[in-house]
Amino acid sequence: MLKFVSRRLVQMVGLFFLFLTLVFFLLQAQPGDISNLFIDPNLPREVQEQLRERLGLDGSVWSQWATYLTNFVRGNLGVSFSQYPRPVLDIILEALPRTMFLFTLATLCSYIVGFSLGKHLAWRRGGFSEYSVTIGGVLLYTVFYPWFAVIVILTFGSRLGWFPINGFLTPEFWRNAPYSGNQVFTQMILSLFIAGAIAAFTAWWARRQKDRRRARLIRVTGYGASLGSIVVFWALRGDMRPYALDIAHHSVLPVMTLTLVAFAGVMLLTRGSMLETLREDYILTARAKGVPERVIRDRHAARNALLPVVTSFVLGLAFIIGGGVVTETVFSWPGMGLLLLGSTVIEDVPLATGALAFIGILALVAHLVVDILYAVLDPRIRIAGGR
Amino acid sequence: MTARTVLEVKNLVMNYEIKAGMVSAVENVSFSLPQGKSLGLVGESGCGKTSVALTLLRLQAPNARILGGEVLLDGENLLDLSSEEMRKRRWSGISMVFQGAMNSWNPVYTVGDQILEAIDLHWDPKPTAAKARAKIVELFGLVGLNPDMIDRYPHEYSGGMKQRAVIAMALSCDPRLIIADEPTTALDVIVQEQILAELKKIQEQMGMSIIYISHDIAVIAEITDLLGVMYAGKLVEVGPTVEVFARPRHPYTWLILSSTPSITGERRQLAPLEGEPPNLLDPPTGCRFHPRCPFATELCVTEEPPLAVIDDGHSVACWHHEKVPVGVRSGR
Repeated sequence: MLKFVSRRLVQMVGLFFLFLTLVFFLLQAQPGDISNLFIDPNLPREVQEQLRERLGLDGSVWSQWATYLTNFVRGNLGVSFSQYPRPVLDIILEALPRTMFLFTLATLCSYIVGFSLGKHLAWRRGGFSEYSVTIGGVLLYTVFYPWFAVIVILTFGSRLGWFPINGFLTPEFWRNAPYSGNQVFTQMILSLFIAGAIAAFTAWWARRQKDRRRARLIRVTGYGASLGSIVVFWALRGDMRPYALDIAHHSVLPVMTLTLVAFAGVMLLTRGSMLETLREDYILTARAKGVPERVIRDRHAARNALLPVVTSFVLGLAFIIGGGVVTETVFSWPGMGLLLLGSTVIEDVPLATGALAFIGILALVAHLVVDILYAVLDPRIRIAGGR
Repeated sequence: MTARTVLEVKNLVMNYEIKAGMVSAVENVSFSLPQGKSLGLVGESGCGKTSVALTLLRLQAPNARILGGEVLLDGENLLDLSSEEMRKRRWSGISMVFQGAMNSWNPVYTVGDQILEAIDLHWDPKPTAAKARAKIVELFGLVGLNPDMIDRYPHEYSGGMKQRAVIAMALSCDPRLIIADEPTTALDVIVQEQILAELKKIQEQMGMSIIYISHDIAVIAEITDLLGVMYAGKLVEVGPTVEVFARPRHPYTWLILSSTPSITGERRQLAPLEGEPPNLLDPPTGCRFHPRCPFATELCVTEEPPLAVIDDGHSVACWHHEKVPVGVRSGR
């Protein structure tokens, strides 16, 4: 396993280098001289030249590329033109957690909901409920996403008024706040991370148990502790809690919209994959063994139907990133998607390059996580990749 | 025949409901199997062998309709049980070795875990982990597998090993009856021979009953005590294997044996069996074999022959069984 991961890491570095180079040249290939946008043409020519030199815009494209790569490795992504002189890395590190929060939550929700619904659909094939949920799923899967997001805002934000229509927090509420939005948000992510880690550990530990009653006991206490950790965490940070709730309140609609659109695909894929699995011989063997139906569904059929669904995550990654730009724009969620769109529109090349680079890193890491997950789930791959 | 009867099937009728109508897959099949004996069911593809086997475990397809009959396992009619009671009888009463053992294993669990699943479900009281483990080790020894393989995944097994492991799993709950549906079809002849020999040895050691299902009459002949021949959903002849081979009484059995080469018998041209099995959506009237039968008369077209006893334990469903000649037919 370690060999497999280290080999993949080396591949990832190579791939990332190619990606970064491609991004760099694509953005350089934009028509027009970028420097004209950010350097006042009324300045004297010598001053203009000096500024160009300071921004690193003199010299050939190749030398700029070499400089960029060297600086990138050193952790220097340059300064933003539009928010001069803020370093790009600083801006990205502020936006990145917001995007990761949004997409981790939406992905987890859509995979959990989509998988369990799809599993039941295949199991109860032919009923009215199966048809209606499948048709609903197809509608959500094929809907024009920006339109759908607007409808969600219109319904839950405007008509019903349950949730704020956009943004990351309520500015009036935060005016005299003792914390910055990012401070509170970091704590939120920390608490979710702790809860997630406990849950993941529980799942891993319970799986290793041979005795089923013991496994169930571990699951109940572990998942309880995972939820409990959130309660305890925020009980200890009482004065920060209202601000955290404000951010959480703002995140409901974007997470919900993304989940609704993404879960449908997962559900339909699970349904198809499960229907195929149910025809396998080992399902008949399990029945002949007298395995109870519910166990056949979950332990034998769904467990195998999961494999293509996990693979689909990699293929769906492009959608998630593209959908990120749309979601963050529609909901004015100040994450990587909004940053990428904004910086591209105003031709802030260092910021756009940096944003794309980090989206690339995110995609590569997600890919690696899925590969590892797949190896854990499928013994055939686990062994081919070295135990 | 003093041995206790383990399984008795009486007048079993099963149809498949499809859009075009009812397919008469199993028609009025009756046979019984004494303790410790083995029965072979042979017939062409689609003649209802596997349908009979699956119905014994009540694992028939969702569109199957059991229209009548009884399946008595130790005197208890399995067709009357609730599905939960039936679930408990599976594997502990009747277990099965499936057609194509290659795919009988769930790829994501180790073979040992899958055998353990059956043990955990059916042993009463539930054994300790160590006791269950000891049983699996014992079973692996019995079927000639290295116990080191217990914690391996199915894809690490060869075809023959998978089949041996399937047999080990079938034995795990000490069933009274094992149904082996084409147990060796996917294997090469040498492995096939070894596995059949081992199966027979195990059966004799443990005193259980086995139903073998195969389209390969030669395989069945070597290892069974009784032989049943099926044609188009009906059992047309059943009797001691040796007698059926020596003196087939049904024209269909006689024709199959005539189309099978024999190494020890005289050299002869094989006589192929002409025609095709009938469409079971609309089976022939009277005897279902009459369109292909060289001895058919008007009676065969109108009246269905009953399965009648003609010798000790040898029954045949044919109006003209006395016309079937002694010895096989030669081709031109």
